[in-house]
Amino acid sequence: MSRTELLRKRANELLSQGVVKLVLGYRAGAQDNVAQPFFATTPDQTAELIFDSTCSPNIANYLLKVKNIGRVAVIAKGCDSRSIVVLLQEKQIVRENLYILGVGCEGVVHNGEKSVTCKACQYPNPVIYDEMVDAPVEKTTPGPQVLKADDDFDRLTPDQRWQVLSADVARCIRCYACRQACPNCYCPVCFVDASTPQLLGKTHNISDNMVFHIIRLLHMAGRCVECGACHRACPMGIDLMRFNRRITKIVRERFDTSPGVDINSPPALTRFLPEDSQEFIK
Amino acid sequence: MKACIVTRNELTQLLDRLISHVDVYAPVREKGTANWAKISSVDEVYLEAVNSREPAKGFIFPRCELLMRFDKNGNPIVPAPIQEQILFGIRPCDARALKVLERFFVQDGKSDPYVQRRVEKTTLIGMACNRTAPTCFCFALGNSPHDTEGLDLLLTEVEGVFLAEAVTEKGEKLLADLSPADETVLRKRAALKSKVESEINERFDVKKLQGKLPQLFKHEVWEVLSLSCVNCGACTFLCPTCHCFDVTDETMRGKSARYRVWDSCQFTLYSRHASGHNPRFDSSSRYRNRMMDKFYYTTEQVGLISCVGCGRCISACPAGIDIRQTVAKLLRIIDGMGK
Amino acid sequence: MGLFFNHQLPPNWTQESIKVIITIQMADNSDFQPKIVAFLCNWCSYAGADLAGISRIHYPPSIRVIRVPCSGRVDPFFILQALQQGADGVLVSGCHPGDCHYLTGNFVARRRFAVLNDLLAFCGIEPGRVTFAWVSASEGERFAQLVKEVTEKVRQLGPNKKLIKEIPQ
Repeated sequence: MSRTELLRKRANELLSQGVVKLVLGYRAGAQDNVAQPFFATTPDQTAELIFDSTCSPNIANYLLKVKNIGRVAVIAKGCDSRSIVVLLQEKQIVRENLYILGVGCEGVVHNGEKSVTCKACQYPNPVIYDEMVDAPVEKTTPGPQVLKADDDFDRLTPDQRWQVLSADVARCIRCYACRQACPNCYCPVCFVDASTPQLLGKTHNISDNMVFHIIRLLHMAGRCVECGACHRACPMGIDLMRFNRRITKIVRERFDTSPGVDINSPPALTRFLPEDSQEFIK
Repeated sequence: MKACIVTRNELTQLLDRLISHVDVYAPVREKGTANWAKISSVDEVYLEAVNSREPAKGFIFPRCELLMRFDKNGNPIVPAPIQEQILFGIRPCDARALKVLERFFVQDGKSDPYVQRRVEKTTLIGMACNRTAPTCFCFALGNSPHDTEGLDLLLTEVEGVFLAEAVTEKGEKLLADLSPADETVLRKRAALKSKVESEINERFDVKKLQGKLPQLFKHEVWEVLSLSCVNCGACTFLCPTCHCFDVTDETMRGKSARYRVWDSCQFTLYSRHASGHNPRFDSSSRYRNRMMDKFYYTTEQVGLISCVGCGRCISACPAGIDIRQTVAKLLRIIDGMGK
Repeated sequence: MGLFFNHQLPPNWTQESIKVIITIQMADNSDFQPKIVAFLCNWCSYAGADLAGISRIHYPPSIRVIRVPCSGRVDPFFILQALQQGADGVLVSGCHPGDCHYLTGNFVARRRFAVLNDLLAFCGIEPGRVTFAWVSASEGERFAQLVKEVTEKVRQLGPNKKLIKEIPQ
């Protein structure tokens, strides 16, 4: 049986047996580029479920839509499962309400080719699951996600780095698709939407654009799992992964933690140690 | 109106002449696709992409428009006058969309002066589509990839030369000294038109949709349809007719300015009242709002549906939602209601 | 660049705007008096600054002090907002680790500041424009020295041209 067929079979069984009220997975998107997150509530609807390289949205983002419905089965690939761990740690969802159908992932597509996040993926298989649908996928990339482009970027002078980043971020139209696609962005009122007082200007003044991206990134510190959903959602094609890779690298090197891998390891920015590095403090 | 044959060379010369004294914008290559930019030479024009990443609405309704500045004494300073601009290579769907926008902002006795002056200074030279993208569906709505609505001049590439059809006097002025079109080229163009129209398979009965949509307001279909939607707003920003806006004042170190910026019905903040109450708090009501606006509300407001079938919302959606599927589903429900 | 901006505006929306700001603000650095916003925690650093004042220790009049209850109160957004509003530099100072009046506020802040510091360096904000320090209530002399160093460093770096927010002329 193919992975999709196995998935449909298990989803059907879980719904028919009343183990779960809903199966959250993907079905074919109308353009062959992006699969549509799909909520199957009856056994025959499970026939529409698929799992392939078009399944690029982060499915954990959708779990927040059905928090109160009861027990939900969710089809999670590696990065999705790490987002689920982060959401569990932050008490946004309850473990007992989840039945995680884990699937190994060989990478998703973005603009017709393998997404940049998947080219050096460290977690193709889910880190948390109730059962694995099909055998795990072999990890083919060694070491943390490091790209030559990042090393080249580090060799630039501060002024050059600013030039490159601000030229990219100047194209930001402040549509907040990145924020909406991200499972970590669930604040009822985002800092950009604050109105009394208004924190950030609404125009795409380069200063406001840079501050939006820097602060959003800081809010991701210790939480971003580098799934790339934001990067793929951006209608202007801004390189958000360059930012995301850096924030995860900073947290990994400073605090020796990777978000969403171990549910028992608290997120880096929710704790502190007496011996935390402070070489930068006078 | 005049119709001429224009060779590649003649077109290059025409464009060169225009570039020398007016701002000319055209699709240029950008990050794997095409996007609008001011051109300084004809070589920069890139028409291989079926359509540009962004629509042309920013030329009459910018994403961020400075309405006025004021200084420390509170004296308003009105921004500098708008320059003439030519949009070369705009597709018929986008030109039609500009016409829809114009209907909203430019009306007898109550026009938006900011949009109106830009409309008056803009000349549109369209390029008909001889092929479609998988996401195109203008023909499904009764529009054609060879339409002239909203254009001043329409160019159609016919076997290496261009058929140039003037639509307005502005367009006709551009065709001075060019040889008139003959029957052969007009026939060949008609064949190209039929061929490209046949690439679009869907047909939507928009009259039926706009007639019956109001009755679907409380239907549970919106809950189901909106489940995959994360209300990111990418569709509204890339839509050539979406025109919701916010007005915001900013002050910094003694200088102040008032801006009009794009807003989106998909943002939670959009419909939040000062009291804190939000009539469109949940995702399904915002998804419903966009669909009803495109296919019904705008018909009540200006007599036109505002979807032109460009398909940008389909390519932009990070959740793979397709407006064509939504419309088909709504029509199926409407048909079911009739029985 | 796309057309989602009013391209009739004087340049403030693109890379060009940054060059314009640099031209306007380019000045001989020795005349440049940096404006530095200092977030000082009430119990230690603010008291230390106060001691420097009472002891009549001279230090450059470059800092504008914002008193916070604890360095843990300092949201990274404040720091960026100060730069947006025109500060040339930002100083954040709290109690030494272990001495926090609220026991753990500065430990929480320490991780946050570490991340912000590394991120700002990545973005190209010059090292030394944003400085973090631990100053205790008895360190009046040290506080004055700190301000001297930070002021000198920011003076060398020149006016803040990168994050400053400009409303078009």
